[in-house]
Amino acid sequence: MRRAYKFMLLLYPRGHRDQFAEEMMRVFEEASAESRAQGRAWYVRFAFAEIAGLIGGAAGAWLASEPVPAVPVTSGSRSRNTQHELIEAQQRIDENIAGMVHAIANHQFERARLLSEQERQAREHLRVLQENSGAQNMEWMVSFPRQFAPETRAATLRRRARRPAFLHV
Amino acid sequence: MRHVVTQNIREAKPLTEPVLLILTSLAAHPRHGYALIKDIESLSGGRVRMSTGTLFGALRRLLEDGWIERFELEDTARQKQGYRLTAQGRGALQLELDRMKHLTRAGFARLRAREAI
Repeated sequence: MRRAYKFMLLLYPRGHRDQFAEEMMRVFEEASAESRAQGRAWYVRFAFAEIAGLIGGAAGAWLASEPVPAVPVTSGSRSRNTQHELIEAQQRIDENIAGMVHAIANHQFERARLLSEQERQAREHLRVLQENSGAQNMEWMVSFPRQFAPETRAATLRRRARRPAFLHV
Repeated sequence: MRHVVTQNIREAKPLTEPVLLILTSLAAHPRHGYALIKDIESLSGGRVRMSTGTLFGALRRLLEDGWIERFELEDTARQKQGYRLTAQGRGALQLELDRMKHLTRAGFARLRAREAI
């Protein structure tokens, strides 16, 4: 079962695997040992639940993951994924600011405070990304204007959720 | 002020059950993956036994939204990663609990009104 689980982890996108696979394996092993001790029927039920959870989780991870770059990354150029992350981080900051302005205009001060905190975190995230990719001056973004940048599914959903109610038709 | 709180409750999207359970479990103190599964099982009275796929899918979303953060555990040999609630996550949990409280009050009020007839 351990080997099958490890194999099924390949269903996840690479980003998710890099981040969680080792930890998922550890948690699975502990849970597996416990359910095995509770009897065969319990273990079979556990195994089915884990397989179903893995398939559902992998599907969700793929839906939420960034689109695969259409243009292959040439050697020496910055990774397209990093560009996506930087663009998305910048978009998140813009969305938070727009939301904050909207909230203040509607006297929703608690919401504005929450968005302000999100904006601060988004800026911090952008700073870390810039440091990691060595893109402090962001000059490469000039050739990749924000309005033409591909939007990730997560960003689209966030943007739609934040539209004022009268735009939802 | 009451108006603002009610408005926020109205605007907040209901959380999914796994997310609500994870946030509730982390509200008291940080936990690692397996401890989360066990605590959620006990929180729900044995009704919810989260699979690792569901757990880590929800954890990934929460990390992306900045509602929880990951940190290195120092005191255990096997479970190296722990998770804790951020201020933003605490705020989201508070909003959801307010929303549920609001709904529960309304539900009980209607039940009482029905019994009084």
